[in-house]
Amino acid sequence: MSRLAIDWTRCDGHGLCARLLPEAISLDDWGFPIVGEIGDLDRAVVGTAVASCPRLALRVEK
Amino acid sequence: MTMLGEHPVIDAMPALFTVADPRLLATRTPDVPPRDREWLVEAAQRVRLLGRGGAAFPVATKLAAVGKGARVVVNGSEGEPASWKDRVLMRQHPDLVVAGAALVGRALRSPQIVIAVNDATSAAALRAAVRRCGDERIEVRHVEHRFVGGEISALINGLNRRTPVPDGVRVLPHERGLGGRPTYASNVETFAHLALLAALGPERYATTGSAGEPGTSLVTLHGTERGAAVLEVPHGIDLSRLVGEHRGPILIGGYHGAWTARTDLVVERPALRAAGIGWGAGVVAVLPERTCPVGEIARVAQWLADQSARQCGPCTFGLPTIAADLQRIVAGGHADRGELSRRIGQVTGRGACHHPTGATGFIASGLTAFDADVRAHLAGRPCGRTTHGVLPLGGGR
Repeated sequence: MSRLAIDWTRCDGHGLCARLLPEAISLDDWGFPIVGEIGDLDRAVVGTAVASCPRLALRVEK
Repeated sequence: MTMLGEHPVIDAMPALFTVADPRLLATRTPDVPPRDREWLVEAAQRVRLLGRGGAAFPVATKLAAVGKGARVVVNGSEGEPASWKDRVLMRQHPDLVVAGAALVGRALRSPQIVIAVNDATSAAALRAAVRRCGDERIEVRHVEHRFVGGEISALINGLNRRTPVPDGVRVLPHERGLGGRPTYASNVETFAHLALLAALGPERYATTGSAGEPGTSLVTLHGTERGAAVLEVPHGIDLSRLVGEHRGPILIGGYHGAWTARTDLVVERPALRAAGIGWGAGVVAVLPERTCPVGEIARVAQWLADQSARQCGPCTFGLPTIAADLQRIVAGGHADRGELSRRIGQVTGRGACHHPTGATGFIASGLTAFDADVRAHLAGRPCGRTTHGVLPLGGGR
C-alpha cells in the first residue's frame, strides 16, 4: 500500500499539495501539510501534486 | 521569552550511587579479551542487550547488520541537559568505554573508530585512555552541537563535516554513516556494556538484572532529597526505590519521555515499553513540593522549542506556540486548553526527526499528570510557588 510522505526539511508550507489533493492533504495552523491516505485516488492526480511541489518535498512511498 | 524564576545550572558532576554491586562504575576496569563479531552478536542476543542512547534498539541486530570493515561511531555527545550518565561514565571510567570501542573495532576489522563527545573534560579523559589502550585507530572528536545534534543522523552529518542536523530522508548509519560507509553507531554506555559482556561472558553478565533484561543501567536522577545523582541500577528493581519517599508523578525518559502517576513500574526497558513508556537515555525526575510543576514543564517546553533545528515547519512553528500557551497558563492568564491539546496533536508525529514528537509527549503527559495544578492555574488561581528549575536546562559543558 503506497502512501504520501513529506521531506520536512524541504517543505516550506507553500500549500499547493493541499489544493491539488484536498481529499488526502489538509493544512495545519501554520500552513504545513497533514497527509492522509491516498486510497484509490487517481494516480495521475497524485503524480501531478508530487511534481508540482515547488520544493520537491512530496513523494509517494511504497 | 519570559524568564521564569531562577535558572540554576548544575556545573559540577552529580554524586554517584549504586543500588547493588557496581559493574560499569566498578573501581577496576576488567581485562577485555578480543571477541569476534559472531561471538558478540550471539552474546548480545543472549543477554538481550539494548542500545543505551534512547531508542533501545537490540544491539545484536545492529551489529549483525554491518559487515567486516564497517566504521564505528561511539556517541558520547549526551545532548540531553538532564542526562549526566554518559559524561560520568566517560570521565570516571574512560578505559571501559575505550575498551568497548576497541573491542567492536577489532571484531568488525574497522579502519576507523570515532568517539564523539561534546565536552572537553570527557574528551581529555578519553584521549588519555586511548593512549593507555594503544589502539591508534581510535579518534576522540569534540563536536559542538545542540540537542537534536545528538540524534544519530545529525551527529554523523557533523562528523562528515556537514551541518549537524537530522536528514530529511532517513538513512541509517549501517547503510551510510562515517564517510558515507556502513557504520556501527551506538551510545557510549552500550560500548561499555559490550566490554563487560566480552570480559564476563553472557552467563556471568546475566547474574544481575532481570530475565527480561539482564545486567544494569545507568540512571540520572533529579528532584529527590539528594539532588542530582547518577546511579547504576540492576534491571528489575522497583522504580519507587530510586525516588525514595517521594509521592507524585515521575518523569521517565527525560525531555523526550513522559510523566506517569503509576507506582508499580520497574526499571526494565521491555517491561516499561509494554506499559507504553520509553526509558530513553535513563533520566528519571520528580518535582519537590516547593516548585511549581506547571512552571517547570513550561520552562522545559520553551527550551525544547528553542532546540529545534528549524528545518521542519510543524516543529519550528508548533513548539514555540505550544510553549507560549504554557507560559500563559503558568501566569494564570487566559488559555484555551482544548486549543492547546489540538496544537499538541498537530505537532506530534511530524518532522524529520523525533524531536517534535518527543517534546509533545513530554508536554502532554505533564499536563495530564499535573492536571489539578493546570486547572488551578487556568482558573486564575496560580499556585504562587516559584519555578526553581529543578529540571536542568544545561550547564556542565
